[in-house]
Amino acid sequence: MRHPLRPAAGVLTALLMALSGCSGGTRSEPLYPQILAAAQTTFSKGKSQRAAAARPPLTRAVLNDIEGSYIEVTLERSGIFAYLFVSTTRPDGVVQWRTEDNVTLTMRQGVLIATRGLGGDIISSAVNTAPGTQGPAGGGEKVMYIRTGDLEERRLVLACDLADLGPETITIVEKAQATRHLRESCETPDGGRIVNDYWTDNRTGIVWQSRQWAGPHIGYLRVRRLTTG
Amino acid sequence: MTERTPISAPAGRCAATALLCALALAAPLRAQEAEPQVPGFAAPETPTLNFYGSPGLIDMPSAEMLPDGQFTMGLSNFEGQSRLTATFQALPWLSASFRYNGIRDWNFGGFEAYYDRGFDVRFRLREESRFWPAVAVGFQDFVGTGIYGAEYIVATKSFDTPALSPGSLAGRLKLTGGMGWGRLGSHNSFGAPFGVERPAFVPNSTGGKIDTGQWFRGPAALFGGLEWQPDDRWGLKVEYSSDAYLTETQVSNVFERKSSLNFGVEYQASERTRLGAYYLYGTAIGVNAQIQLSPYRPATLLAAPAPLPVELRVPRVENPLAWSEDWAGNPASGPNLRDALESELGKQGIALESVTVHGDRVELRYRNLRYRSETIAVGRAARVLAQVLPPSVETFRLVPVSAAMALSAVTLRRSDLEALEFTPDNTEALRAVAGIGEAGPEPRGALPATGLYPNFAWGVGPYFEPSYFDPDRPIRMDVGVELAMGYEPAPGWMIAATLRHRLAGNVKDGRLSNSVLPHVRTDQTLYAQEDTTLKNFYVARQWRPGQNLYARTTAGYLESMYGGVTGELLWKPVSSRLALGAEAAYVRKRDFDQRFGFLDYSVLTGHASAYLEMQRGYVAQLAAGRYLAGDLGATFSLDRTFANGWSVGGFFTLTDVSAEDFGEGSFDKGIRFSIPVTWFLGKPTRRSVGLGIRPIQRDGGQQLELPGRLYGQVRAAHARALGNEWARVWE
Repeated sequence: MRHPLRPAAGVLTALLMALSGCSGGTRSEPLYPQILAAAQTTFSKGKSQRAAAARPPLTRAVLNDIEGSYIEVTLERSGIFAYLFVSTTRPDGVVQWRTEDNVTLTMRQGVLIATRGLGGDIISSAVNTAPGTQGPAGGGEKVMYIRTGDLEERRLVLACDLADLGPETITIVEKAQATRHLRESCETPDGGRIVNDYWTDNRTGIVWQSRQWAGPHIGYLRVRRLTTG
Repeated sequence: MTERTPISAPAGRCAATALLCALALAAPLRAQEAEPQVPGFAAPETPTLNFYGSPGLIDMPSAEMLPDGQFTMGLSNFEGQSRLTATFQALPWLSASFRYNGIRDWNFGGFEAYYDRGFDVRFRLREESRFWPAVAVGFQDFVGTGIYGAEYIVATKSFDTPALSPGSLAGRLKLTGGMGWGRLGSHNSFGAPFGVERPAFVPNSTGGKIDTGQWFRGPAALFGGLEWQPDDRWGLKVEYSSDAYLTETQVSNVFERKSSLNFGVEYQASERTRLGAYYLYGTAIGVNAQIQLSPYRPATLLAAPAPLPVELRVPRVENPLAWSEDWAGNPASGPNLRDALESELGKQGIALESVTVHGDRVELRYRNLRYRSETIAVGRAARVLAQVLPPSVETFRLVPVSAAMALSAVTLRRSDLEALEFTPDNTEALRAVAGIGEAGPEPRGALPATGLYPNFAWGVGPYFEPSYFDPDRPIRMDVGVELAMGYEPAPGWMIAATLRHRLAGNVKDGRLSNSVLPHVRTDQTLYAQEDTTLKNFYVARQWRPGQNLYARTTAGYLESMYGGVTGELLWKPVSSRLALGAEAAYVRKRDFDQRFGFLDYSVLTGHASAYLEMQRGYVAQLAAGRYLAGDLGATFSLDRTFANGWSVGGFFTLTDVSAEDFGEGSFDKGIRFSIPVTWFLGKPTRRSVGLGIRPIQRDGGQQLELPGRLYGQVRAAHARALGNEWARVWE
């Protein structure tokens, strides 16, 4: 150790170079810029989590000027939220919602059946829904296929009970909404429990608000319908 | 993981290790935060590690096994004795470790400080049951000079203990008892049940031999102890050690051993990191840092941006005209569709190579640039086809291509994609109706991408060139900046070059070779004298000579030490687990300055190989042939590959070079691992960080380090790899 500063200088140089790695051409997606970009994303995600508490105030006047259908979704664990627009609809009651940065939630009759872009996503689900009925149509078995581990898909079986908690008037951004409150309580064979809540309106065919469990990696989502386009 | 593009930003070898450590430390502990009753995929219970990086107490082992696939790093120190151990649980009942250790104040056998490497292997004899303990047998430091050489049989039984406070989880108490030989039979031994002859440890021996004759010979002694984990963060350990540390305390004067009892306290700092402090042998304070990584529990969950929805066609009965195939007769429609596809595929990180459109079917040949997994590229390419092509096109044939070699063909029906996108268990359902087969030659009338060739790409980035296990200095390292360039004049052709400029490093101060063989690899110190070098500069061509066959030929300055001509042929049917290959090269040793000159050593080298994909992701390779020093022999390698890109493995080579001529280590062997960057970042990228370590670099059994070997390129897009990763097809 004749030059105690030399290793430190070497490490510093290596770091600087790692940050300044660059490339050109159409065929390569080089490593170091990607690490840098990912680090920036992580950093800004941290910032957005801190900012999550200070959610911008929404007013009904603003929402009334917006065209198209929007939902607001909050990830309960992190407090991150986003506004999603309709990405595609299917004749059988499937609606896929999408964020600007390409996270999607797919619902059948308002019941979450798939997610993409969050990590640990629900690839597909078997849920009990019926045409013309919003929210779950009854209790019974519910199966979620979850991406986990070593690129595997794991089957998670839930045994569910559906309870009708009766009419309830909820307020979504200054607007009162008459709904019916459905509560779906589910259990896994090993004793795990989750509870999903739906505030539905079969007359308009809309689930106005829900709190749904999106698998072990994502946790609970809070969803409310802001605009109906 | 094999890099597909020869233009790679330089692989950060050492960065890998640093990154591992940083991430392990950064990941916060998540155990108690979630409500315990919410269903989850619980982490398997992981045993704690001892000072040898194996599941165990403090200095003594236990009978526990790590979860399958677990990869751990342990760094321990007491009284100037440091041990850095990497352990891999290769099978549920088998683990292997590689250790590098240093002992300060050794002053014996000509060494002031003593550095050595060693391998351990442990087998589970029985799993713990309700009444019976787990039993394991271990061979410690069984290859090499064997300073830590020991064998043991050990049993461990665990019990739940009452929770410390109401509402918290139950604690865990583990009792361990065992019998040891060798080092573990050296204190308070009760005799030698299986014979007395056991050679003493000789620090200057060549090593590298497996000493089966001495196993379980010599004096044996009992050891034992207990570990109590009152909650999921803290642990207390106490043990009775049967290691007398004879050499360290009597022959040398490393430390003083006054007691056989050791005590320790451990703290789980994060999900992957556990730290411990200990009081050993009545005199010493010790520390131990344990890092455990699992391929099954990524540091960050992979989140690829959501794909496009599958575009539904108007039902035929509602608009039969839209389903007409008349458009296919228009000569302009092909190029128009190709242009539209090229732009849409580009957004998904997929480069269109060529497309053949017919009224009812399409064949798309493409390169996957972004995703490590080929199945996610298959799924996304299919979604783009459904978005762009007219309704009459029903059959999608998707052909991934690597440097002009079509690797396989996945055939999907568009109506299946439409019908299954939102149905339960669509992964299995689509697998059942998808066809995977040989790609075959490019169809007539294929429209090549516009402006794809000639293609030029370049990258600048740092490089790290480590050199391990110099007796004077355990790790030497060069760091610098690297410029890599590649030019593809036509499909399958590549002209590539890599320039390096060293900014700092000490590899050039290393020892000179003492090898009696031709210095085919041991002149690394001489090769490290210049700052600016031409690492490689070559022309390569890859092509498909026939069904199930793949070929490559490369000529030029192939790697930092050799230049010449080489050719390779590989036979691998898409659905076959077996592949056969042959490679031959005529090379000349490059000048030490690594510019354009050559030295006066040339050799004809080549190998015939068999590759086999086995259960649990194991890939075995047996290669027999002639090595760089002209020696004849065979290399066996075994790697465990995970669908997410992790791979951990080892290799050894036996040739007709005698152990004496080979020198230290007796024969060539090593370990290697590779971890995809995706696993850390949770973002799609094809890159991996990897590290290969030989306990000692000698000249026997050495092969060329060639860019673009075929097997890795081909295997990733073949039936077994596609099947393993099929869950990503809808992602």
